[in-house]
Amino acid sequence: MHTSARKAHSVVHIILIVSAVAMLIPFVWMVLTSLKTTTEATQIPIRYFPDAPSLRGYIEAIKQSEFPHYYLNTIISAVMKTVFPVIFSSMAAYAFARIRFPGSTALFVLILSVMMVPNPVFYTPQYMMMSELGLVNTVTALWIASLISPFATFLLRQFFMSISKELEEASVLDGCNPFQIYWHIMLPLVRSALVAIVIIQLQWAWNELQWPLIINSSPEKMTLSSGIATLVSMFGTDYPVLMAGAFMAVVPMIILFFLFQKQFIEGIAFSATKG
Amino acid sequence: MHSRSRYVWAYFMIAPTLIGTMVFWGWPVIQSILLGFQHSSNFGTVNTWVGLDNYAKLFRDEEFWQNLRNTLLYVVMFVPITLVLSTLFAVLLNTKIKGVSLYRVIFFLPQVTMPAAAAMVWVVLFAQDFGLVNHLLGTRIAWLSNGNYAMLVLVIVGVWGAIGMNMLLILAGLQGIPKSLYEASDIDGAKRFNKFRYITIPMLTPTLFFTSIILFIGATQIFDSIYLIIGKTNVALPSVRSLVYAYYQNSFIYNDRNYGAAIINILLVINLALTGIQFAFQKKWVHYE
Amino acid sequence: MVRRNKFSFLLVAVMMILSLITAACGNNSNNAPNNKPENSASNNAGAGEATEAPKKDVTITYAIWDKIQQPAMEAIAKEFTAQNPNIKVKVEVIPWGDYWTKMSAAAPAGTLPDVFWMHGGQFVTYASGKFLEPITSKVEAGEINLNDYAANLASIYTLNGENYGIPKDFDTIGLAYNKELFDQAGIAYPDDTWTYAKLAEVAKQLSQPDKGIYGFGAKMDTQTGYWNDILANGGKIITDDMSKSGYDDPASIEALQARYQMTVDGASPTHQQMTDMEATEMFKSGKLAMIFDGSWRISDIDSSDIIKGKWDWAKLPMGKAKRANIINGLGNVMSASGKNKEEAWLFLKFLGSQKAAEITAQMGAAIPAFNGTQDAWLASRPNLNLKVFTEQVADATPYPSGSTAYSVWFAKEPEIMSQVWGGAISVEEGAKKVAEMMNQAIADSK
Repeated sequence: MHTSARKAHSVVHIILIVSAVAMLIPFVWMVLTSLKTTTEATQIPIRYFPDAPSLRGYIEAIKQSEFPHYYLNTIISAVMKTVFPVIFSSMAAYAFARIRFPGSTALFVLILSVMMVPNPVFYTPQYMMMSELGLVNTVTALWIASLISPFATFLLRQFFMSISKELEEASVLDGCNPFQIYWHIMLPLVRSALVAIVIIQLQWAWNELQWPLIINSSPEKMTLSSGIATLVSMFGTDYPVLMAGAFMAVVPMIILFFLFQKQFIEGIAFSATKG
Repeated sequence: MHSRSRYVWAYFMIAPTLIGTMVFWGWPVIQSILLGFQHSSNFGTVNTWVGLDNYAKLFRDEEFWQNLRNTLLYVVMFVPITLVLSTLFAVLLNTKIKGVSLYRVIFFLPQVTMPAAAAMVWVVLFAQDFGLVNHLLGTRIAWLSNGNYAMLVLVIVGVWGAIGMNMLLILAGLQGIPKSLYEASDIDGAKRFNKFRYITIPMLTPTLFFTSIILFIGATQIFDSIYLIIGKTNVALPSVRSLVYAYYQNSFIYNDRNYGAAIINILLVINLALTGIQFAFQKKWVHYE
Repeated sequence: MVRRNKFSFLLVAVMMILSLITAACGNNSNNAPNNKPENSASNNAGAGEATEAPKKDVTITYAIWDKIQQPAMEAIAKEFTAQNPNIKVKVEVIPWGDYWTKMSAAAPAGTLPDVFWMHGGQFVTYASGKFLEPITSKVEAGEINLNDYAANLASIYTLNGENYGIPKDFDTIGLAYNKELFDQAGIAYPDDTWTYAKLAEVAKQLSQPDKGIYGFGAKMDTQTGYWNDILANGGKIITDDMSKSGYDDPASIEALQARYQMTVDGASPTHQQMTDMEATEMFKSGKLAMIFDGSWRISDIDSSDIIKGKWDWAKLPMGKAKRANIINGLGNVMSASGKNKEEAWLFLKFLGSQKAAEITAQMGAAIPAFNGTQDAWLASRPNLNLKVFTEQVADATPYPSGSTAYSVWFAKEPEIMSQVWGGAISVEEGAKKVAEMMNQAIADSK
């Protein structure tokens, strides 16, 4: 290898290492602060490590809020907001991609234009809708309005369009209806795209803050994100408690990510090739 | 099979998405537009038509223009910085160096971190007296209560959370560029930078277009980090308050959902217009094969 | 929850249709893909059923905003359930910062908690909107006697001759001080003779900014902050008939200026420092020598290991005009749209009973409103000079609530004042802006 190339190589490494450390600092600081006492967390001059790791932050956070409910509600709504959009969007995406029917273009544009609308536009009217249905402050309200996904419809349509038509034609001869073709033949072919969409939807659903914050007020009906946001109003600047809550909220997704990092990263990368 | 029955199947298959879109998204958009022309009292149980009053009030409101400027300033800083850094990291990781998969995991980690949780750590990191940032820089900057610094903090937090996803998208785009193009230029003896400038960038434009649209739509809706990092009683709030924050404040704290609706309807129009412009101009710079 | 079950049924139906049409072409019964949707449908149905309860056993919700009082409220609820075994009470804490946002969303939706804490400032908005259940008939029937409560507190929750609430407690403001920091500096503890001038002077002497220690927490706050200063200095928060703001009164501006000045002079932490770490938290960790705080914070402050046994209370200092204080009384109210109003009333009545007041007092949760139970509260923490809170009732001005405009201007006030405390605009400019905003809100509400 040439020296200049080697030099360039070490420059690349330095840039990457420094950036990686910078990306990780918030995680490290979250864990360290959660184990400090309130005094240690705000001590001047600053200290990096607690004298003796204290679990008070975790105990207080668990005692004063409803973490088991937060986890359960987050999981329920994340699953609902993932499973249904994947089913419904893939159905619609297949129809838009493969069946020519009157009004298909207009309807597709209509669904797509929703993607451009800022989410908060929906909040007040959806809130009123939920209150008419008697769903305010229920777990159902967390996911009921998110069973469909224009984004997933758009992405999957691109994938379906790229699949060759021969397979389909054979099954038409077998007497399959379009739904059976979609379910038995096409769906398995776009499996990797479905994985990508599951991952994207799961993250959105897991992280969403504003809607759960608005729609549900009982601690038992909150999600992890609205729950820890409430922790801020409850504990003010008691940072070890806040950091303990934050840590408990991010840990499941991070574990999931480490277990399935290959699928996560390839899923996202894959979605880009058709986007 | 008859095409008539195929239509029926098609309508059946798009029905859930179409109905869901109409009920939960289409109808609310109409509602939101109507709310903008009304005045509601007693927590929205009494509504009267007031025509353009809310918008007239909005356009006279100095604060609204400030919020609009703040939102645009954030977009203008956040989107290019994220794109440039994501492209940089993607290009670096597209070379044959050790630890690529480890770097990908680390850079992607903020993406799977709940923004609400991350925001709480940033508050501690940027604290004036006991914050790590001031400690490392050897400064005593009041990051969160100076309007300019507070905006910078929001951009840093935003970029931190967005790099991972966009880097991966761009990396995938890079890997989709045919090797033959580079080989051809090797024969021509092109310099490394020229290859980047004349092959990589043009071939990457479809990916960059897609990511910039997604980033743009997300950036105009900035709320979480202002709500959690800056907060209600921060002197810097007026210099960073976004349209969505103003919407939230008016609709749910001041209980004036009509004024809130007017604010968010303006953002709706801006988003549609700017997305349209982006699509119109894409022919100028996006190269499809 | 009927609607929810209907919805679950619909989902199951959709899923069944889906699984029918997805059956493999030509009758091969390979059912593997069908299992998943069916499972998720039945899970959902299960979730719907879980909320159904047999008719006789009733659970009512009691919403409060103070987590410190949660144990006492739960003790009262437990006592109540012991007397009424079929009624369970769920105590729900919604932090103050979110409480009114949530309530204002819940009111029109008909989802207010069965029984909940009411604040004098918000009462008129909810009562005039018909979201609260009037209890006038119960009062007339002699089920409850509103003269049992101190300082005419019941009148706060009366609108147009209708009674809506039962007084729960009252609170006043005291001056908390850290004995250790006074001892180290060799300065005598605050007492009844202190004036605001003395407070400012001592605060300066006690401050050691290089060590992160300050004499006084001149926080940007209303009830436990500058409202007391304004009244003591002869200014006004709002005119007595609630028709005009008093923020632009020269005496009010002078009081605000004096407080803000302390954050500039280094006698108090700056606004940003008190945002990074709340003033009360600073006091709890021994970084502040003095702070104004409310009687509801006593057990919270005393829970700090760092200053336990090293702190006490004094009366607020004398101002140019008088010794001032803000008194506020919380009430318990019930929702007009609750599903179990009979049970809710039983609980509401119990909350207003002497027994409930005694539990509140003994646990030191708050100063109970029920006459004659306050002494038990004074004895709840013998190590602290709690008398200052009951004695200052005589000096106190009622919390400036009682109008529909209040909830509007009170939400906007901190936003303008934070511009002052952050140094973006002058005190005079900020005070005038607040006054203008308040007067506008008052005009709009007419």
